[in-house]
Amino acid sequence: MHNQEYKLYEELGALARFVDNAKNAISTASPQILSSSAQLPTAASHLSDLSKITEDGTLEVMRLTEMMQDNHSQIAKDLFAVVEVLRAMDCVGLAGRLGNVTSVLAQDGKYLTEIMTALSFQDLVAQRVKKLVAILDEVQGKLMKLVVVFGLQGSCEAASDKGAAGHLLKQLEESKTTAMKQKVADDILAQFGFK
Amino acid sequence: MPADPSMKVLVVDDMVTMRRIVKNILKQLGFGNVDEAENGQEALQKLKTDTFGFVVSDWNMPVMTGIDMLRAIRADEKLKAIPVLMVTAEAQQSNLIEAVQAGVSNYIVKPFTAETMQEKIAKIFK
Repeated sequence: MHNQEYKLYEELGALARFVDNAKNAISTASPQILSSSAQLPTAASHLSDLSKITEDGTLEVMRLTEMMQDNHSQIAKDLFAVVEVLRAMDCVGLAGRLGNVTSVLAQDGKYLTEIMTALSFQDLVAQRVKKLVAILDEVQGKLMKLVVVFGLQGSCEAASDKGAAGHLLKQLEESKTTAMKQKVADDILAQFGFK
Repeated sequence: MPADPSMKVLVVDDMVTMRRIVKNILKQLGFGNVDEAENGQEALQKLKTDTFGFVVSDWNMPVMTGIDMLRAIRADEKLKAIPVLMVTAEAQQSNLIEAVQAGVSNYIVKPFTAETMQEKIAKIFK
């Protein structure tokens, strides 16, 4: 009986030491945990911005491509009408050459459609970014649980500035407000005599 | 390509860029009458209040997914005959099988080419 009690006492002691070591390890890592949990929402926000930037760029390429398609369509109609007139006037050679131009235009039209379709990459980017943001949210939730359960101390705001990740995030954050627009750059250049 | 050039097509996708791409290809193919919806629920409302001859839909969408919309279309007496082309990033075989079982008319995996879409639409309307 004594032996069993002693063994139980030993096991409880080992368990207590294990819990204590684990608490110490978590406590040592607490600045990093706090820092990561503070940085994750900002990182997620930058990812979402990335998605928006690619969407804006894609829409602009689409707008220009559609304008070119409309122009092509109008040119093809006009060319067809000219070719008809030339044929009626027996200018077969010239009509044939303009017919070739029509073929080139048709081929270009196919390329423009391919450009439009290739822009579907933006949808894939957006979907992956959405998934990554969801993962970051989940990780942040788990880190917050750790912080609450183990009562980790420290300022999240101070922690978020630490380390390489904190520095990069700070740069990204600053670029939102400090990134110079071309108009401002031109105004400054003009002051230095650039025209 | 369309049997009836006035046939109305519904493009369903939560991404504005994808709707624009699909509309552009449809226009090249002669489908000039195209309407849009941002999710399955909005699409079903449009399908019930207007007459459409063809639906091109994404799979992953908020509110109601493309596969749920497809099942709802096939379960509706008035809508079940409408061809539905699924254009999706869901490239797992299980997704394709699920779509086929739900009654999809054809299936395109993103990223795709205009040629692929033309070919799939031609098959639907042959």
